[in-house]
Amino acid sequence: MFTNYLKIAWRSLLKNKSFTFLNIIGLSIAFGVAILLSMASLFELSYDNFHEYADDVYKIYHSEQNPDGIEATETNAIPFAPALQEDVPGIHKISRYLDDEVLLFYQDKELVIDINWVDPDFFTMFSFPIIEGNTRNPLKKENSIVITQKMATIIFGSTNVIGKTVDFLINGKKQPFTVTGLAKNIPANSSIEFEAVGNFINNPRYEKLKNRWDHSNHEVYIQLQQGMQASQFEKNTRAFTNIRFKDNIEDRKRDGALPDKNGQYIQLHLLPIKDVYFTHYQNGRATVSKVFPYIILGIAALLLFIACVNFMNMSIAKSTARLQEIGMRKSLGAAKKHIFFQFWSESILVFLATLSFGILLSILCLDTFKSLFNTDASFDNTVSLGICIGFILVFMSVTLVAGGYPAFLLSKLGTLQALKGKVQVNGRNKVRDVLMIVQFAIVILLVSGTFVLRGQLQYMKNKDLGFNKEQVISLPLNGKRNSYQVVRLLKETLKSNPNVISITASDNNLGRGRDGSQSTSRLGFDYKDHKVGTHMLVVDHDYLETLDIALLSGRSFDRNFIADSTSVVINEAMARELQEEDPIGKQLEVISDFKHTIIGVMKDYNFKDLNRAIEPMTLFMTNQKQVKYTYIKIAPSTIAHTFDSIKETWQKLEPNATFLGSFLDDNIERTLKKEKTMTTIITSGAAIAITLSCIGLLAISLLVVNQRTKEIGVRKIIGASTVSLLVLLAKDFIKLVIIAFVIMVPIVWWYSNQWLEEYPYRMELSIWVFVSAGVLALSIALITISFGTIKAILQNPVKSLRTE
Amino acid sequence: MLVQLKNISKWVNSGGQKTFLLKDVDLWVHEGDFISIMGPSGSGKSTLLNIIGMLDNFNEGEYTFLEESVHSLKEKHRANLYKQYIGFVFQAYHLIDELTVKENLEMPLLYKKHSSSERKSLVADMLDRFNIVGKKDLFPSQLSGGQQQLVGIARALIASPKLILADEPTGNLNSKQGDEIMEIFTELNKDGVTIIQVTHSEKNAGYGSRIINLLDGKIE
Repeated sequence: MFTNYLKIAWRSLLKNKSFTFLNIIGLSIAFGVAILLSMASLFELSYDNFHEYADDVYKIYHSEQNPDGIEATETNAIPFAPALQEDVPGIHKISRYLDDEVLLFYQDKELVIDINWVDPDFFTMFSFPIIEGNTRNPLKKENSIVITQKMATIIFGSTNVIGKTVDFLINGKKQPFTVTGLAKNIPANSSIEFEAVGNFINNPRYEKLKNRWDHSNHEVYIQLQQGMQASQFEKNTRAFTNIRFKDNIEDRKRDGALPDKNGQYIQLHLLPIKDVYFTHYQNGRATVSKVFPYIILGIAALLLFIACVNFMNMSIAKSTARLQEIGMRKSLGAAKKHIFFQFWSESILVFLATLSFGILLSILCLDTFKSLFNTDASFDNTVSLGICIGFILVFMSVTLVAGGYPAFLLSKLGTLQALKGKVQVNGRNKVRDVLMIVQFAIVILLVSGTFVLRGQLQYMKNKDLGFNKEQVISLPLNGKRNSYQVVRLLKETLKSNPNVISITASDNNLGRGRDGSQSTSRLGFDYKDHKVGTHMLVVDHDYLETLDIALLSGRSFDRNFIADSTSVVINEAMARELQEEDPIGKQLEVISDFKHTIIGVMKDYNFKDLNRAIEPMTLFMTNQKQVKYTYIKIAPSTIAHTFDSIKETWQKLEPNATFLGSFLDDNIERTLKKEKTMTTIITSGAAIAITLSCIGLLAISLLVVNQRTKEIGVRKIIGASTVSLLVLLAKDFIKLVIIAFVIMVPIVWWYSNQWLEEYPYRMELSIWVFVSAGVLALSIALITISFGTIKAILQNPVKSLRTE
Repeated sequence: MLVQLKNISKWVNSGGQKTFLLKDVDLWVHEGDFISIMGPSGSGKSTLLNIIGMLDNFNEGEYTFLEESVHSLKEKHRANLYKQYIGFVFQAYHLIDELTVKENLEMPLLYKKHSSSERKSLVADMLDRFNIVGKKDLFPSQLSGGQQQLVGIARALIASPKLILADEPTGNLNSKQGDEIMEIFTELNKDGVTIIQVTHSEKNAGYGSRIINLLDGKIE
């Protein structure tokens, strides 16, 4: 029986070659793309799931009440973690986690590596397997480090590294460290990334800060004891914070901050490790948003939906040609279930074939996909038993609905009805219409989504950030020389180069450089009986001039004023924060018993990512703190040449350090990575949705034309013009597109507005975005329909009538 | 008695009025009968045949098939009944284009749960009987009309039904092919198969043992 079904399925597929081809192309693309997209999405969703104790491990953050709102911070003081463990019951394990860089020496090699300082519990809390060395507790002893396989190859050129010794430059002195563990490379879906870890007490500032509660610089992770609820633990910490942060809380009270509903000025919160990757802070609380992976999954589902709609519409439309077969089979004794299974198995056959093509397609496109969409997803890190089962279930239900529905309709037909080839088509056309409306609604959704995203991305790229991003190169000072010395040497060497206009330095980058790091440095102090907060930046001379940041009043740092090491320049936002109309000459007591004088106010510039409003900023010029980046402004002519000569100069000065210089506009683009990826995904989704819908529309219009060949012939003989016939045939479809448009516009409008709300700098949402999406969908639909219809319309009517 | 129709009526409502397709039809068919139904277009011949074949319903009257009252049977039982006892032959042959001659013949058996070897021998018998062994792997489109109808009859016979219903079996054929088909029907009737055919042609009707004339849904 089944072989008979297969046989007839195969032959009927062969008979309708063009439809089969369209069907298979459409479904294969949909399956391929859906596989890739769901892989990317599942990969995102799998972040930090691999830890054995993932359900019990949390990151700690504080919600602190300020007069102007609630602020969340993740950084802690060094004595915080031990005190918490001592005072509050329920902690099973705890580890501090400090991101740092260190200069490493091994034989004649010297390189700057990222290092993380952690407590010994780290490796038992988190599942980062140690494959060689002390696998249980590798950081038990001081001066021991664990490195990953990747780092081992970088330093030693092999992974046979246990017991080897390297030197770190710590507080200006070389200190030996022994490798006690070799860790497996960090999985791509881990939000904690490290190449080398050392014992927390070895970090360079430990001795100096180990009893200081006013200096925070690291994160803290805890694992709760079995049975301890996170909310309960948070409640238990209140007494602890009230005692340990007493001074801090007093200050807040004095400034007029209001306590939260539990009467707390500082509240500790636990953030589950599984949520860390998806978290951003809003109004002082961690907000977990998995929208992005779900949008990707949603697009995958939508594309699959479109392809299935095509399949269903084509199967139903095509089945009119097989009504006699159904009738015949019924008169020969086939029951409903026989007909149903026959047609369903035909669908399954098509689906299985297209699924295999889809898988093949996804394997072929995987590399392109990964680079295009910026994902580390691969079959290795996403395919698991559960996901396979889920995938099979999804596949089965898709075939059941998309293949089963037409099969069900056909099996219901009366024998005589089918034999005569007469079928009531009204009801089914309604289903088809609804499906096509939904299909076009999806197209319009994705197309307008593309327009909105592209518009916003373009807006952010072109926005005036308040500094010169085209002509300025930012260069991380990653060598071993003293940074001020390097800057001075650079200035001296490049002075002779006429294309170098000016050079300055600061301790933070603008945008995201090729070193990939972005940091924030903030401080708070009292000013005229209220607390003020500001970002701080240590700069060198000519900072404003090199970056073309406008000075509104006062002056910039000047070499002629020796006292400038106690001067600061602030931005407009800081002037507002200080509540001073004319801040020039006012003194700030940033450090107790030491006064800084405001000498200038500069225009606000976007020193942080564009999804944040400009906050208060204070520029310092102190030699106490090292600068980390130098900025070089070059003449707009011969840019590439100048860039190369700067690189050469750098390599002469720091022969062992990599040159990581990059233009600021590239740095800014790097911060828009999320938006770019999103735009790529939505754009490709839209393109594929359009392609699939066109395939479906083409097939349906061909079938409709086939059914109406006689009508077209008669109308032509009576005297209908080509245009009027085209209108006649296209009308029904165009109506559907318009309905889809009308339904979709308010939804897309609302959602785009929601999305743009997140950006302090956003483009104007105009109705034309949606109108052009609608027009695009409409014209594509028209072109597609014309493809199938024009041939039929131009045909000699005698020919079309003769076939009847 | 194979078929017994009592006061069978069928109508459709058009514009609030009943239009009768069949009105008070009484008909008896004994086993071994060869009946020809004649009448002009629209007289209800095909409707009557479809009702006998249980493919169509009627509005009034009683229908007994082999002592079973069809009008009170459920759809499923009715299907089982005609599956077992009735074979259909159509004017347009209604062979399945995508299946070969052999596969077309095999199809009714698939719905009756015969074993594979049984099916093979039955199909082989039938091919032999109708002398179409050489055509077994051809598709319907590769056969002439007469040959296609031959396959159609073979397919109707393969499950050894008691009754063959033929709706203008020669309507699409030329007279020579038509004569051949009629000869075959006569042969089958001699072997004990009951046949009811609808026809327009006096000559073909003459092959039957009884002629029923229909006019406007009534037997004359």
